[in-house]
Amino acid sequence: MHDTQIVQAVWGGVLFGSVYGLMALGLTLVWGAVRLLNLAHGAIFVVGAYAAYWVVSSLHQPILVALPVGVAAAAAFAYVMHLVFIRPVLGKPGFDNSTLVATVGISISVSAAALLIFNPEYKVVPPVLSGSTIVAGVQITYQGLLVIVTSLALFAIVYLFLTYTRHGMAIRAVSQQMEAASLMSIPVVQTYGLVIAISGALAGLAGVLLSPSFFLNPQSGFNPMIQALIVTIFGGLGSIRGALVAGFVLGVFESFVEVFYGVAWAQPGVFILIIVMLIVRPNGLFGIGEVKRL
Amino acid sequence: MLEVKGLVAGYAGSEVLHGIDLVVNDAEGVIVLGPNGHGKTTLLRAITGLLPPRAGQVLFDGKDITRWRPDVIAAAGVVHIPQGDLLFPEMSVFENLLMGAYHGPTWSGRKARLERVYELFPWLKERGGQLARSLSGGERRMLALARGLMSQAKILLIDEPSLGLAPLTTQQIYASIRTVKEGGMSLLLADENANHVAGLADRVYLLETGMLVREGPAQELLHDKALLESYLG
Repeated sequence: MHDTQIVQAVWGGVLFGSVYGLMALGLTLVWGAVRLLNLAHGAIFVVGAYAAYWVVSSLHQPILVALPVGVAAAAAFAYVMHLVFIRPVLGKPGFDNSTLVATVGISISVSAAALLIFNPEYKVVPPVLSGSTIVAGVQITYQGLLVIVTSLALFAIVYLFLTYTRHGMAIRAVSQQMEAASLMSIPVVQTYGLVIAISGALAGLAGVLLSPSFFLNPQSGFNPMIQALIVTIFGGLGSIRGALVAGFVLGVFESFVEVFYGVAWAQPGVFILIIVMLIVRPNGLFGIGEVKRL
Repeated sequence: MLEVKGLVAGYAGSEVLHGIDLVVNDAEGVIVLGPNGHGKTTLLRAITGLLPPRAGQVLFDGKDITRWRPDVIAAAGVVHIPQGDLLFPEMSVFENLLMGAYHGPTWSGRKARLERVYELFPWLKERGGQLARSLSGGERRMLALARGLMSQAKILLIDEPSLGLAPLTTQQIYASIRTVKEGGMSLLLADENANHVAGLADRVYLLETGMLVREGPAQELLHDKALLESYLG
């Protein structure tokens, strides 16, 4: 076992982990507050990434301009999705099924639209930070470091927002006792919209920051979303702490398997870990039922 | 201040309220007395928009609020302290109180409001960090009341404040409601026990099977033992 391999595995793991965490954070927020399993989360990722790509390639703006545009586009897309597909069925019987089908449908539509507008070729979104350094023979990209720092910072910001701000507390209030929240003059449906928009912004940011490393095509959002789903289930649906811990656990685990047993084992390895985990703790690491809601 | 006209409400397949007419004037304490299951909770829920009425009107300060959303009705100053308290269980006592002052204009004055409810229930201050779900039944009721008082309520609708409480706690709760009322608050209180409400009632309505069957000054109705017995048993 070489130092290089270990450093490679840790670096890759922490990088993957922060990416998974970032995607899972949005997914788990929406589940925790709205009880919506948003299978369009990957599509929102793609919307953010393509919006940034478009700003760079067609408007010839630098990535630092494209980044906020991508984030805003993803948030707006998520909010409109809430208005059109989620809001009408809120509180109705069949909410789970109809939103599941709707979000899958949105996902497919976004891929198809991206295919029509941008064609299936891989697009390159420039990194916010270029360049890299070598540590123990492993290339550490500055963009990768940025992704890790951004992800950790966003976990902290979301946590502080939910804990200490008026609107953040209102989100928790709505998730814990919806009727009482409305009697406290908290607009429940708008609060759902806020949560979904925040979640969309997080997915969009992930999309813009990751596309330089993984390239962008109409299906790019699918894998990050599946990984985020796994992370969310592993960490416990609705748990923010769970998303953070599980993101890093799974990222590092996958990375070690990949470095030492080859890429072919990475995904199966993760699934084996998940299966074992769910047998031991069916609610996930910090799942609702064992630990508190938002 | 609050006027209900011909209110009809109910749940899928069953009509609970069959045309309620009721008035609460400024700074007045109005009690709706009736046995369990006769529509007291439904009445309060229909007024504050949790259960959209099928017919009739609810007027507040001259505005028709019948079709308003519950959060908009609350923001206008009609504050409902619901049955079962409905606290935010995973939030602290302090956070529950803050949520009572959520409404924009109220939020900036939340510190002064906190001091006011601490005066009423001093333990809320000492145990602000405790999670609401770990409180006793009586403490929950006090917190629910205090949370409602954090708002800029113009009228309080309170659903059976004594439900499930021990006699001593019950006394404490009604004493604090009386303090609030003496501060000039209008009250609409649903109850099934005539003895509890003696100190804060100005006027009483008797509710039976979804209809208001009697109305009169508290002085008169609450002392009519024969009448009360025939309605409340």
